[in-house]
Amino acid sequence: MKKYLSLLLCMALFLSLALAGCGSNGDTAASGSSTAGSSASTSGSSESTASTAAPDKITLQLKWLPQSQFMGYYVAQEKGYYKEQGIDIEILPGGSDIIPEQQVYNGVADIGVTWVSSLMKYQGQGWDLVETAQIFQKSALLLVSKTKAGIKTPADLKGKKVGSWFGGNEYELYAMIESAGLNRDKDLKLVQQDYTMDQLINDEIEAASAMTYNEYGLLLESGIPEAELSKLDMNEHNVAMLEDCLFVNSEWLAKNEDVFVRFLKASIKGWEEACKDPEAAGNIVFNVDKSVSLEHQVYMAKEVAKLVVPEGFDAAKIGYIDNKAIQQTADYALKYGLLTKAADISKCVNSKYWEQAAAK
Amino acid sequence: MTDKLKSTLWPLSIGVLTLLIWQLGGFHALLDLKPFQLPVPTGIASTLAQNLTKALRDCGITVSGAIVGMIIGSSIGFLIAVVATVFPKWGYGGLTVVSAFNAIPIVALSPIMNRWFSTGMGQKIGVVTVVTMAAMAINAYRGLTDLKPFSLDLMKSYAANRRTVFFRLRLPNCLPSVFTALKINITSSMIAAIVSEYFATSTSGLGFGIKDNLRKAEMAMGWSYITIAALAGIVLYLIISMVERRAVKWHASQRIK
Repeated sequence: MKKYLSLLLCMALFLSLALAGCGSNGDTAASGSSTAGSSASTSGSSESTASTAAPDKITLQLKWLPQSQFMGYYVAQEKGYYKEQGIDIEILPGGSDIIPEQQVYNGVADIGVTWVSSLMKYQGQGWDLVETAQIFQKSALLLVSKTKAGIKTPADLKGKKVGSWFGGNEYELYAMIESAGLNRDKDLKLVQQDYTMDQLINDEIEAASAMTYNEYGLLLESGIPEAELSKLDMNEHNVAMLEDCLFVNSEWLAKNEDVFVRFLKASIKGWEEACKDPEAAGNIVFNVDKSVSLEHQVYMAKEVAKLVVPEGFDAAKIGYIDNKAIQQTADYALKYGLLTKAADISKCVNSKYWEQAAAK
Repeated sequence: MTDKLKSTLWPLSIGVLTLLIWQLGGFHALLDLKPFQLPVPTGIASTLAQNLTKALRDCGITVSGAIVGMIIGSSIGFLIAVVATVFPKWGYGGLTVVSAFNAIPIVALSPIMNRWFSTGMGQKIGVVTVVTMAAMAINAYRGLTDLKPFSLDLMKSYAANRRTVFFRLRLPNCLPSVFTALKINITSSMIAAIVSEYFATSTSGLGFGIKDNLRKAEMAMGWSYITIAALAGIVLYLIISMVERRAVKWHASQRIK
């Protein structure tokens, strides 16, 4: 008797679960159709997209946490530029253990943001990935030290403790060290840096990696006056390699050319607007993720704008791939032993889609 | 003899078969992986051969950190167990605290140790010490207190004092538990040492090698480090097992069937 009772109870439970499942399914289906309806009506009002079909889902993998480094995409999302292009965008934050190249190759994300030198390394190993737009036109990496350490030129790094985040972020640093005639294994001590600037602030290391738009700002915010800091700029010492770019899996691209061009159009529009008004862009990013202060997001937005549209660069050309700079990145990568064989940049890079997207 | 032969031949042939399937791309087909995502055994072996000196140096660093940390951690754990046995009233509280330490993840411990120790070795040893304390304290305490009732009665009937009971009865009785704890600790100390290196400032050691190489597409090198780490773990475990076989011959678990 007891057996039957428990069986009956189980069945009842199962049935109710199944019913509940159906119910929620019905709900989502209903809400799904209602959002589809509303997006159809908005796309109807703007003439840019002819299709009234459901928007294409695109996943973008960032290289790091949601911050103004990626403000263009957030602005485009916030202002509905992706929606205008019939794209339903999902922006995936990065992190210390998230590798954009692997995420995109494995299909977790469709499009990724990474550094060119790091991407070339993957391409050199046979990963079928291709760069399609260059967002940052300049290197933002600095090697920062306190002036009392007396590091004024790369050669002064001899015998010092120098921090890097490694995992693909060390190549410009290697180039700088070796261009000064130093051996990176013997002449100085490379140290793994965490994602704060505490090691430099507490004098545990003498020089630390810092991005102009992030860690350098953290140092200033921590109360160290700019006069007490000296910085080695990769651009000034001719070891600059390109950083944030957009890349995709070639196989995916072949099947999604049209969607990708629309994605680029919306992203470029977002970046244009963000660089015109970094303060507003910083605010938008802050509202997405409040992990750092509003001041820091705005600071970052202003610094990033200088990389995306450097002085003398035509803002209409955001995302332009400068083959000369790419070649330089490839050359340095080879020269300083990051690549074992020369990269064929005609295979690493494809400007075609950017040209289509940038054409007005 | 045939039994012994069988018991080694079977696992060996399964191991060889696994390597063969791996080499011939069976896993790649099954899991939809490319050789540059998961290198094949020969690729890993040749990469390892080319970088053997560096890999062995890194292995030495990790293993020595793991062993020193395990010795310190196990000693502290054992002392706590002794205190808890001798002074049960308040000593037991120490055990509870130590078990609570066990719940702290390595991710959280590493930055703390980074602040305390300026060297990568100090940080590693610190993390391993904390991780290995609890297993030893709890196991040793059980061994020291979980006595056969009649044996304690017998000691009492001999009018043995607490000191004699401790050295003649409790200490030998806890040996099997101590070795159990050591076997747990030798594996967890390797894991703790490797994971702590992910977050260390030092750029040497197996953990940094695994993380860094896998991040920048040097998969074969990363897997070389994984292979070395696995081998080191197995060798350390075997050493402890061998010592155990000699030290507690009398225990039921060690008797030859």
